[in-house]
Amino acid sequence: MSATPDEAPEPPVLRPLLPALLALFGIILLLNLISFAFGQAPLTTLRLALAGTWGTPYGIGQVLFKSTPLIFTALAFEIALRSGLFNIGAEGQVALGSLAGGVVGAHLPAGTPWPLAITICVLAAALTGAGVALIPAVMRARLGVHEIISTIMLNRIVEVLLPFLLVTVLGAAALRTVEVVPGAALLKLDAVFPALRGSAASVAFPLAVGLAFGVDALLRRTRRGREMRWIGINAAACRAEGIDVSRRLVQAMLLSGAIAGAAMVATVLGYKGYYELGLGAGAGFTGIAVALLGRGHPLGIVIAALLFGTLQQAGLAVNARVPKEAMDVLAAAVILLVAVANRAAAKPLTQVTPVVAPPAPASEEAAS
Amino acid sequence: MSSIFSLTMVAETLRIAVPYACAAVAGVWAERSGIIQIGLEGILLTSAFVSVAVAVASGSAVLGLVAGVAAGAAFSLFHAVLVERARIDAVVSGIALNLLAFAGTRMSLRGLFGSASNSPSIEAFRFGPTGSRGVDLLARVLLDPVTILAVLATAATPFLLARTRLGLRTRAAGENPAAAAMSGVNVPRVRYTALLISGAICALGGVHLAFDQHRFESGMSNGRGFIALAAVVVSGWRAERAVLACLAFGALEALQIVLQDQANRSAGADLIQLLPYVATLLVLGFAAGRAAAPRGLGKHAD
Amino acid sequence: MDAPVIRLDAVTRRFGDFTAVSAAEATLSPGEIHAIVGENGAGKSTLLKLAAGVLAPSAGRVLVGDDALSPATPAEAIRRGVGMVHQHFMLVAAFTALENLMLGAEPVRSWGRLDLASAREKAQAIADRTGLQVPLDAVTETLSVGERQRLEILRVLYRGARAILLDEPTAVLSPLEADELYTTLRALADDGATIAVVTHRLDEVARFADRVTVMRRGKVVLARPYARAGAGEIRGGDLTRAIMGGEPPLPFARPAMAKDAAIVLEIKGLSLTDAGGQRRLRAVDLTVRQGEIVGIAGIEGNGQSELVRALAGLEPGATGRVAVGDRDLSRLSVRARRASLGVVLEDRHEEGLCQEATVGDNLVLGDLGDRRDGAPAFDEAAAITRRMQRFDIHPADPARLAGELSGGNQQKIVIARALDRLPRGPRSAAVLAQPTRGVDVGAAAAIHAAIGEAAASGIAVVIISADLAELRKLAHRIVVMRRGEIVQSLSPEATETEIGRAMLGQEAA
Repeated sequence: MSATPDEAPEPPVLRPLLPALLALFGIILLLNLISFAFGQAPLTTLRLALAGTWGTPYGIGQVLFKSTPLIFTALAFEIALRSGLFNIGAEGQVALGSLAGGVVGAHLPAGTPWPLAITICVLAAALTGAGVALIPAVMRARLGVHEIISTIMLNRIVEVLLPFLLVTVLGAAALRTVEVVPGAALLKLDAVFPALRGSAASVAFPLAVGLAFGVDALLRRTRRGREMRWIGINAAACRAEGIDVSRRLVQAMLLSGAIAGAAMVATVLGYKGYYELGLGAGAGFTGIAVALLGRGHPLGIVIAALLFGTLQQAGLAVNARVPKEAMDVLAAAVILLVAVANRAAAKPLTQVTPVVAPPAPASEEAAS
Repeated sequence: MSSIFSLTMVAETLRIAVPYACAAVAGVWAERSGIIQIGLEGILLTSAFVSVAVAVASGSAVLGLVAGVAAGAAFSLFHAVLVERARIDAVVSGIALNLLAFAGTRMSLRGLFGSASNSPSIEAFRFGPTGSRGVDLLARVLLDPVTILAVLATAATPFLLARTRLGLRTRAAGENPAAAAMSGVNVPRVRYTALLISGAICALGGVHLAFDQHRFESGMSNGRGFIALAAVVVSGWRAERAVLACLAFGALEALQIVLQDQANRSAGADLIQLLPYVATLLVLGFAAGRAAAPRGLGKHAD
Repeated sequence: MDAPVIRLDAVTRRFGDFTAVSAAEATLSPGEIHAIVGENGAGKSTLLKLAAGVLAPSAGRVLVGDDALSPATPAEAIRRGVGMVHQHFMLVAAFTALENLMLGAEPVRSWGRLDLASAREKAQAIADRTGLQVPLDAVTETLSVGERQRLEILRVLYRGARAILLDEPTAVLSPLEADELYTTLRALADDGATIAVVTHRLDEVARFADRVTVMRRGKVVLARPYARAGAGEIRGGDLTRAIMGGEPPLPFARPAMAKDAAIVLEIKGLSLTDAGGQRRLRAVDLTVRQGEIVGIAGIEGNGQSELVRALAGLEPGATGRVAVGDRDLSRLSVRARRASLGVVLEDRHEEGLCQEATVGDNLVLGDLGDRRDGAPAFDEAAAITRRMQRFDIHPADPARLAGELSGGNQQKIVIARALDRLPRGPRSAAVLAQPTRGVDVGAAAAIHAAIGEAAASGIAVVIISADLAELRKLAHRIVVMRRGEIVQSLSPEATETEIGRAMLGQEAA
């Protein structure tokens, strides 16, 4: 632990990969245990899972497709988390955003050119997502209500509202919206890579990857993003130095909700072409796991999303032999595993040796 | 209107409030000891499932109850160990454990009973009259052993926290873990104990949920753990007030049932379901700033 | 039970690479008040914590009586009759005094029920015997600092401790309260108790200690009996030399100040009532001239913290006028105030630094996007370089995390941020709370120099410090705060006793 000033810092790219490797190992072990419990020979389920995901171009396409909304929701959680907020509300933000995007997309003039149509749909979804986040944001910033509980309540409220909106307000018979106009449909990736034929992957995936780097740049390079990060570290110090903490928190929460809402790019615009009840459900919660696994690095988040996308697709592949929920069990286990591994790997700041030779209060600090 | 102020309404309120109240009191135990606990939902689900699974396997409701409570306590202890010993973020642990409970019970449901939605029916406890309204219903609700246990646990909590050594140490660990440790209190051990109690009480709620329906249904806790947590916050981390909040919740839900029963279902009837959540948000908004969390919540002794 | 002899046998304690205590030898004996002195960071608190089982030695042994203290835990130490009173009280604020007293050593009846009556009886007996009176049913956070300290000592005695180790017990007390404390300690020692006190006040050593151990840079450099009355084996001068290691005390030249210099900082009728309806500030009036350094003394909790926060703009409920130069700040935001009023809050961990952000980020915290009337946009890179150089922050690496720096360098970051932003001359003022709390000697000297330089450049400076010596060294004028009011103005030549009287509100004798 010799901390000399010129010691090279750990390469930042490797750090998120280490827990990911551990997670992978844990997944394989646990999957085999579960398979065994369901009477499957060791490794058959694993083989089946791999074959159904990375084994074929179609499977790969499906993994990309499943990962895409997870990148969005993970980024949504990430932005809030960096600002010191737990936005557990992505679930509701995704759902209502998807509904809004779908409705708007369906009501555009049939001939709307695609750049315009897609922009309008995404904007509608993002604004709606932000709108859902506005309530917990304001409650937190102005009243001090903790966002965990308020976002959870809003998830429930959205859940109740959705069928009501679909049936009563929109008059939809089948709990789904009308098809969006052709211009709003996203290009499928198999148009570029014919091998992916039949898979639901769309250009939403590269968009999501780009967004991951965009969010990273925002948090590192812009004043707004940096102040959000500082607030996440020590809000009291930021307030004392004149940073408008409430405002930044609201902004972070709104941005988080907007990104969650924009996840509909992958499901509504990139896949179904309409919104139906339940589309994208679960992405909000899984996104939390992805963000925790990705550890604040854009590439880490993409890789983690691919991992969870793989799990989801694998669940479908093995469903005949092992319930697909086994994959969610794996996901939960991964969160815990990674959290423990990260904790063990991270050296707490208080134990870091002060750099200068006779550092006065080291004793007091280390002891308190 | 008369049906709103009826014995049926009282009985329904009580019946509905039990799982909420158990989870809320569990939340008070956990958080007063200093451990953030958003995993109540998972404990409700897990204990509900285990109690039904054991009841089905053994044919004994008592064994089911015991197993459910044990499972809830173990689940809660696991959270405490992850937070106290492995030092992972309590919110992260809670999220993961909720997911684990949700997926795990669904998976096991399919594995054990070959169904994605519910378990076979169980007998559970049946005491008292059989009628479904008024005095009959109230009597049955009051005679239910799980309800009685829940009421006992709930009633004992304020006394235990205020007047016993365990309570004093639990509060010390939650208010100022460093000072508690310096006073010779073994903070992790106190927190493990508190979380065991918390898990067991929460599990009573889960068992009640399952036995009330005479079966396990996938995701049957349906957010009750979260609402209970809101009740904890609104009550200022005080058990007796949290229980009152839960009774209010029970009344809201009972009202909803009674209203839906009698009214012809208009288009907006579903929106009545929003009531509890909107009410929670509003109360949170008004109560925030006044209710103070335990000052050592989420802090470690060293 | 006789009080135990505590022996530290070649005890070493390391934190990572840093050795806080190195092969220290010390013997704490019954019937004596043993003073442990040294500069900040000399390792004296660590030594005490080792003796009390709060920290385990990295090498060497702590002997209580004839046997090693093992396991090295506070619980074991208490079992062996050794109790410690921490500098930062280890009390549960929401508990009653009685609950705090019994915590960890609760008398219980059946079913684990607390036996409050017998706890009260026992506490009262000890209180009557020692004169340590504390309102047992009061909630701890409502007690005064002195009462809380008595509670801490009472608690140690309640547990049957016969050896009482106190870490900087007088740091938060007024001189008279400190005298009272020593009277109590003397009575306990005369009764056969083992008493050890960590302090950095040499006058206390001279007046009360039977024996003194001097520490410097983790080592015991001097351990002698210190005869209180008359012919001593060592004298104050030797002590100073031992503490400073023979180096001359770092000189500080108080910048000259014109008597008729223009008034820069003007505080008029500043009042504040907190959420609980308590009046924290009562019409504070204070003017500070160009280049003047005003020190504010007071017992902790008499409105000093609130004054700083109100000046910074962090107390929206504050009323009254605050002006710097001809600029009225009263209605301005925190951000707007910073341009002409630099503020350092007292707790750098809580409200000063983002430990997990880089040094560079911390140096410009709150400055991003700053634009002063027509001036070019804030040049971040230039500001970071300038601030690091001007305040000599080590290591000079803006990419390092602030939490990795020593306390002194962390404090320099906070002070650099507050001072560097200010325009020189009569248009700016700075308010610094506890500028050198918990920093090493070198950093403290550097910070003092920076403060002097700021004043010399015309900035009006206010310093709030619990360290009266620091105030007397730096300030042109010392004002005393009590109960949210400024009650007296003194010259820096006033003795600590005089200042202490003012802090307590007693007329000069």
